[in-house]
Amino acid sequence: MNLSDSKKKLAIAGAVCGLVAAALAYFGNPANMAICIACFVRDTAGALGMHQAEVVQYARPEIIGIILGSFVISVATKEYRSTAGSSPMIRFILGIVIMIGSLVFLGCPLRMILRMAAGDLNAYVALIGFILGVATGAFALKKGFSLGRAHETNKTNGTILPILMAGILILAVCTTLLKSSEAGPGSVHAPIIIALLGGLIFGIFAQKSRMCFAGSIRDVVLMKNFDLLTVIGGLFVVMLIFNIATGKFVVGFNTPGIIAHSQHLWNILGMYAVGFAAVLAGGCPLRQLVLAGQGSSDAAVTVLGLFFGAALCHNLGLASSGTAMNAETQELVMGAATPNGKVAVIICIVVCFVIAFTNKREAAK
Amino acid sequence: MRKKELKLIVTFHTTADAMAMEKACKEQGASGRLIPVPRAISAGCGLSWCADLECRDALKKVMQSVGIEEEEMHECMV
Repeated sequence: MNLSDSKKKLAIAGAVCGLVAAALAYFGNPANMAICIACFVRDTAGALGMHQAEVVQYARPEIIGIILGSFVISVATKEYRSTAGSSPMIRFILGIVIMIGSLVFLGCPLRMILRMAAGDLNAYVALIGFILGVATGAFALKKGFSLGRAHETNKTNGTILPILMAGILILAVCTTLLKSSEAGPGSVHAPIIIALLGGLIFGIFAQKSRMCFAGSIRDVVLMKNFDLLTVIGGLFVVMLIFNIATGKFVVGFNTPGIIAHSQHLWNILGMYAVGFAAVLAGGCPLRQLVLAGQGSSDAAVTVLGLFFGAALCHNLGLASSGTAMNAETQELVMGAATPNGKVAVIICIVVCFVIAFTNKREAAK
Repeated sequence: MRKKELKLIVTFHTTADAMAMEKACKEQGASGRLIPVPRAISAGCGLSWCADLECRDALKKVMQSVGIEEEEMHECMV
């Protein structure tokens, strides 16, 4: 079935992904985090011992499922292409930037949409930064930015990340080697089989529809094309209905328990860095997982950058804290970006500008 | 709804090549527009150049003049 030959089918593909997110939230994933690429990569990095933040360590089957789902559907539909060689180290850096920006905001673009659908006004503020970041990236593209072309490689090269993910799944199910949180967001999750199934379905539909949060806005900016935005619209509407129906739609800035903070400047700058870096890397975190699944080693290197960035965030105190209710005093404790996180976001934005305006098409050929 | 027509679709190795194509076509008065790569062609989320079928030779000349190498040229319903 061709999912992108009409806007209606694209919206349906987005709606299916929205249903998956709603189901994952229903079956036990953290409130308002249903399926967040940055958060779940961070948790998986914790499970592997890459960082020692005990409350966010869990090998998330959703991440594994998305990559494997994309791999399986691309092989089945003959869209699997093993490619590599488009400035891998720059993509690694962009992966780190995307993760740092996401964890200062507290969510990837996918979670930003999910938070918007739950009435979190901080996510709407962050959307401003994300759109500006994507627009800056699109401007760089117009000025000739390029990381150079990828080339076909040995077919097995593109299977490495899917195989590694399958390996993590086996370790998670059959051994006690991986770390697993006993408290905090990492301990809150849907049953493994449901999470894996959800990830697989999400990966398949994301691959077929080319769902990309940065790409959707980039296409509007560059071509006034709304196809990819239609997919996001479908997802948003389903989650909005789910949240209203289950009483989880709460409009406000300082809502405790949803893992978010209300420092507007840092929400904007965090997502600015994410939008900017995502356009330079050719896709948002979700799209990087999907591209890696369908054989792009360049995207796989970006995913490794996400893992490395997650470890940096928690080892160096870059990740923000969420607004929460103190259980003893019943007082609202405001979440905030850390001083280290603020410096890191500024550095990330500077790095994006350097990458955007020093890598030109002529030089990349 | 707009009726689909058979069009010439030029795909590129990089987004930058597609952007360069847009610039060159504007400067040289060649017809066409940037569109997302049609799903029937590729799984990439890249850009492509869409023009009428009879523009094939004119577009090839534009690409030669500015050193753009196309990935492929397709004819498909858009």
